Amino acid sequence: MSYLANFFKGFVAGFKHFGQGITNIVNFILTLVIYIIGVGLTSIVAKAFGKHFLSLRKTNKKSAWSAKNSHPKPDDFYRQF
Amino acid sequence: MIVLGIACYYHDSSACIMVDGKVLAAAEEERFTRKKHDFGFPFKAIEYCLKEAGITIKEVSYIGFYEKPLIKFERVLCQHLEMFPRSFPTFFKAIPSWINEKVRVRKTIRRKLGYMGDILFIDHHLAHAASSFLVSPFKEAAIFTIDGVGEWETATYGFASGNDITLKKEINFPHSLGLLYSTATAHLGFSVNNSEYKVMGMAPYGVPRYYNDFKKIIDIRDDGSFELDMSYFVYHYKERMPSKKYIALFGPIRRPESDVTQHHKDLAASLQKVTEEVVFKALNHIFREYKCENLCMAGGVALNSVANGKIMRNTPFKSIYIVPPAGDGGCSVGAAAYVYFTLMKNKRDKDSVLDSSYLGPGFSTEEVKKFLDKNKIKFSTFRSEDELIKATVKHIYENKVVGWFQGRMEFGPRALGSRSILSNPCNPKMQDILNLKVKHREKFRPFAPVVCIEDANKYFECDSPIPMPTDFMLMVYPIRKEFRPLIPAVTHVDGSGRLQTVRRYQNPKYYELIKEFGKLSGMPILINTSFNIRGEPIVCTPYDAYKCMMGTGIDCLVMDKFLIRREDNLRDAWDSEQFAKD
Repeated sequence: MSYLANFFKGFVAGFKHFGQGITNIVNFILTLVIYIIGVGLTSIVAKAFGKHFLSLRKTNKKSAWSAKNSHPKPDDFYRQF
Repeated sequence: MIVLGIACYYHDSSACIMVDGKVLAAAEEERFTRKKHDFGFPFKAIEYCLKEAGITIKEVSYIGFYEKPLIKFERVLCQHLEMFPRSFPTFFKAIPSWINEKVRVRKTIRRKLGYMGDILFIDHHLAHAASSFLVSPFKEAAIFTIDGVGEWETATYGFASGNDITLKKEINFPHSLGLLYSTATAHLGFSVNNSEYKVMGMAPYGVPRYYNDFKKIIDIRDDGSFELDMSYFVYHYKERMPSKKYIALFGPIRRPESDVTQHHKDLAASLQKVTEEVVFKALNHIFREYKCENLCMAGGVALNSVANGKIMRNTPFKSIYIVPPAGDGGCSVGAAAYVYFTLMKNKRDKDSVLDSSYLGPGFSTEEVKKFLDKNKIKFSTFRSEDELIKATVKHIYENKVVGWFQGRMEFGPRALGSRSILSNPCNPKMQDILNLKVKHREKFRPFAPVVCIEDANKYFECDSPIPMPTDFMLMVYPIRKEFRPLIPAVTHVDGSGRLQTVRRYQNPKYYELIKEFGKLSGMPILINTSFNIRGEPIVCTPYDAYKCMMGTGIDCLVMDKFLIRREDNLRDAWDSEQFAKD
């Protein structure tokens, strides 16, 4: 009885491990596809038009403080953006 | 009106409940889950807050969340768009948690908490500003928030009056003083978002001979604004922080637990000098703009107690308020306060001032006794508070290491006399004893002194009047020269001490204990260090405290009105050294 129980326990654990491996591979492929098509293409097109998403270069401005643009209204706080 | 504030998903998740404008309870999730800096959704902290308020989630009027998740997600996507294809490893690692969890806050609150009321999302730095100003004693104040990064902002300033906060200017990611500090922390072999205070503690051992090198990295303007030279960093697309260029400038990354050399100490000193320069220049600029003598500060950089202690000497500000958990943990208070006072336009009064940090769980005498009896722990009972104080003082005077577990747990990163380890500051060997027996921490790190507010100016060169953040151990001041040899265990190498001042009304038992020690030793000062071992959160429950004592060299534990001696009880199979982490 205990032999059977141990066998099934190991069997289930092995399958779980196998399933996890498959999940990781699928996740990797999906993320890679999204990254290349979604992020990559957008990035290449945007850069071709001179668009930058982060200000990585130093400026020669006298002050690095920038005015805060948003002056939220009470309803804006219901939004996640 | 009841408002629940929530902060989570970056580091130091927390929850806070505000009832009719008063913070009734607040706690970090890590204290319950026992995972240091736990960033998960704070289910347990929320459960505690609701229990403390004696309500269910259905009775909560509003929930305030401490940031705008979609704006933060936009920033994360922008990092990947800008850094394609080098950012793939971080994209692969981080994006699933964003999609499954972080942008679904509303869903989590609805489904897992069962809350169907209004959820309000407060910008991260606005929540920081609110956490400082709306619970401060000021009617109006200049505001300065500075941390690693919120949604986009890394530093903001503005002005607050009455219930309204207006943040006027900002510095945006990737330019961040907090992230520069974290990069240097990582380079010095310590953990990011955890050990920045160690770098601050190391700084007085060094000379700032790398100051000019740091100035190549950070361009500080006269108004305290700054830009980083991003070629020295990789944190915007990698998990590690310093770039090869940074390493070429400052040498290889120190391996954790390896020797700390003079080179490392000089780096820490240079970084601290640069940090202070930014803070003082920014504050002077803010004062010139608003001409208001009150200052409220928040954000992780506001935990830099060395810089804080110099603010009043280097700027025209006359009063300062910093909330005890000035980092992200405090944003749950900010989110709740912003909803209650600013959005709902409720009046601020004396009760809304956060002048004590004892907002966490407490345990009744019956609960503590039940725990001791159930676990067959040997203990003795004090007949009166006077007896408890006198016996504890005697133990401390005899150079014993005492665990002090009384009342409600502190909210914030510092133990302030509820979950503390206390010992004798007059013993020159006490620093080594504490390190050997309990803390296992780096030799360069000093222990903190605690003193009653009336005695603080006698022993320390404090600002006058002593600012409230001193009560929360957020200010470092020089110890007066004549007393330095008398309290060697709390005197740092530069003669400073990160003191905590105690006012009687905040914690009468703790206050009397310090006074009583003064009567016996002639020195009304104690060592106060957090009740934990290195790498673990501060203890929360009687079980945590007992386990910590039994696994370390703490000689006795004064828990409520009970005295538990380690030597009277069987030592558990708990090896604190094994669990001591960074």
